[in-house]
Amino acid sequence: MSASVKRRDLRAAVLLGVPVLLCALAIVVPLVLTLIISFWERQMIGMRPGFSMASYALFFEGARFSVLQRSFWVAISSTLLMLVCAYLVAYLITFRLPPSRTRIFLFLLSVPFLVNYVIRTFSWAYLLGRTGPVNQFLQRTGLTSQPIDWLLFSDFAVYLGLVAAYMPFMVYPIWLSLSAIDRRLIEASWMLGQPPLGTFLRVVLPLSLPGVFAAAIFGFVGAFGEVAVSQILGGVGYQLMGNAITSSLDVLNYPMAAAMSTVVVGCMLLLLLLWLRFFDLRLFLGKMLGR
Amino acid sequence: MSNELKQFNRRTLLAGAAVGAGALALRPSAAFATGQTVTLADIGVGDPNGDWSGYEKATGNKVNLVSIGNGPSAVLNQLIAGGGRQTYDIINIVGGMQKPLVDNKLILPLDTSRLKNWQNNEYIASYFKPGSKGFDFIGYDGKVYGVPTILQGDSFAYLPEKTGGELNSYGALFDPKFRGYVALEDNYTTAGQKTALYLKAAGLVDIKDPSNMTKEEIKKVVDFLIQKKKEGQFRVVWSSFEQAVNLLVNQEVYVMDCWEPMVFAAKAKGVNAVYASPKEGYLLWAMAAYLVAGNRSPEKLEASYQLLDFMLSPEYGAVITNLRGYMTNPAAPEFASKSGKFDPATAKKIADIDASVKTKFQSGGTWQARWPSNIEAYEEEWQRFKAA
Repeated sequence: MSASVKRRDLRAAVLLGVPVLLCALAIVVPLVLTLIISFWERQMIGMRPGFSMASYALFFEGARFSVLQRSFWVAISSTLLMLVCAYLVAYLITFRLPPSRTRIFLFLLSVPFLVNYVIRTFSWAYLLGRTGPVNQFLQRTGLTSQPIDWLLFSDFAVYLGLVAAYMPFMVYPIWLSLSAIDRRLIEASWMLGQPPLGTFLRVVLPLSLPGVFAAAIFGFVGAFGEVAVSQILGGVGYQLMGNAITSSLDVLNYPMAAAMSTVVVGCMLLLLLLWLRFFDLRLFLGKMLGR
Repeated sequence: MSNELKQFNRRTLLAGAAVGAGALALRPSAAFATGQTVTLADIGVGDPNGDWSGYEKATGNKVNLVSIGNGPSAVLNQLIAGGGRQTYDIINIVGGMQKPLVDNKLILPLDTSRLKNWQNNEYIASYFKPGSKGFDFIGYDGKVYGVPTILQGDSFAYLPEKTGGELNSYGALFDPKFRGYVALEDNYTTAGQKTALYLKAAGLVDIKDPSNMTKEEIKKVVDFLIQKKKEGQFRVVWSSFEQAVNLLVNQEVYVMDCWEPMVFAAKAKGVNAVYASPKEGYLLWAMAAYLVAGNRSPEKLEASYQLLDFMLSPEYGAVITNLRGYMTNPAAPEFASKSGKFDPATAKKIADIDASVKTKFQSGGTWQARWPSNIEAYEEEWQRFKAA
């Protein structure tokens, strides 16, 4: 092997090694620390190193476990809802909009993110309140005679807040997947006699699944770890896991917060592994990287 | 140089030295505590809108005001893990959490003889006597740690046009007449304690001390709250100032467990909100300024004491009462009316606020428990209420 090749290999190793090391430090180390602390014992406001399952026992026996179950249900159902909405939007952008307008539409989808996320959530509370514009409109038009209570501080409000917060993020990967589909395949399906629905179900949808998979991750992770939407729009103590973890930190119960975080990360990893078995992430990444 | 001039110079020098020595003897360390910058971490209530000129002109020191969260964890995190011990000289937070602060060597006991405004403060003498419940807001284990900067009594707010008249019991929060139009604060030491006050006064639950409940007592309180929650009594559990003000302003709720400044804010927006005078008494509390333990030079320590003393002055008290709506210093109303620094309307406002809070303290209540003995049980039970 020549000296120049060796030098190039060394340079490549350094170039790749530094980011990998940084990632490990920024991601793996905190996760490992969280795992370790989850077994420590709480002592007043501090912790004592050890191996105790007390925090896990309290978590699975107490009210927090029902919060985990609710978080799962809300995250899964809202992700499905958001996928339907995001797919519809991405499909229209890809196949119905002239290419010249695609960029404008994609830019418009990013406009809400120019406003602070918490302020956006608060504005929903104003819009959906008993005396808010939505209820006023409904009453003025005679659609209802009384304000509708369930518009705010309800499951409906939480789902709406989640859709508004994460659905726009999910449009981009799906659009990316859809726009990478070779149009000749769609034309071939049509020429072979498939109706539009058949072409969609047998050609477009399967080819766009890597994007759907990536979008589902964006939506699920966001909804599962949500704090502000549940707190501002959820009503009486509407809690998701993020709220329960924050609440434990408020009383400096770090082992409990770490135990809950570990369970959440564990669940996420499990889901990720399951997803990887069904979908090949490399397909999507390959498209993004142009391979 | 003539002998006369030499003598004059020597005499002047000696006289000057004597004056200087006298000043040093009177205030041993004050003479060299100038040119210091004292870092004050505050939750936002103790900021006189950046005007520290009264302190700066008198001492030659400056104040560097930084923000700190009020939650117990936020305070402790900042001091233990966030480098607060090195950065902050004073923290001004809601008092009553000396136990974790002292046990972790995060604050210093105060030498109150170094605070001239401490000595003649009748509020300190009346409400923070050693051995009293009020003392627990500034002291621990017989020692004084905090300078009380703000005093207040909390109850609940209501909209009289919607409730059909005056409300004078915490029972209004649980009255089926207002089902679905009640909000609570997401805080077990306020909402939990107010519920306990009601349950005890109404004879519904046997509670010995609502400010420091046993595990069984807090469980019974939360059982009651869960029952009410399932009946649909509560519209929301609020967790921020703006959220609570909006609930009143938008008339989303008619009865709300909250702080009095929220009523001021709602009134400023044209809503007729009233802060109730409950027959069960108020939930009393105070803000305290603590000296942070750390490696401080004697000069910095003296400058910090000077700032604590300024925070006990009628001038600072009048400014804070005007800005925040809380009672501060017994001499603040007089200072506001006589100093010429406030117009008559503002001086009257300061006097009215002072009189109103004083009435609350006179009518009694219980002191809020910021760090109750069974805090872990409180947290667990509050989780149960929210998750139910």
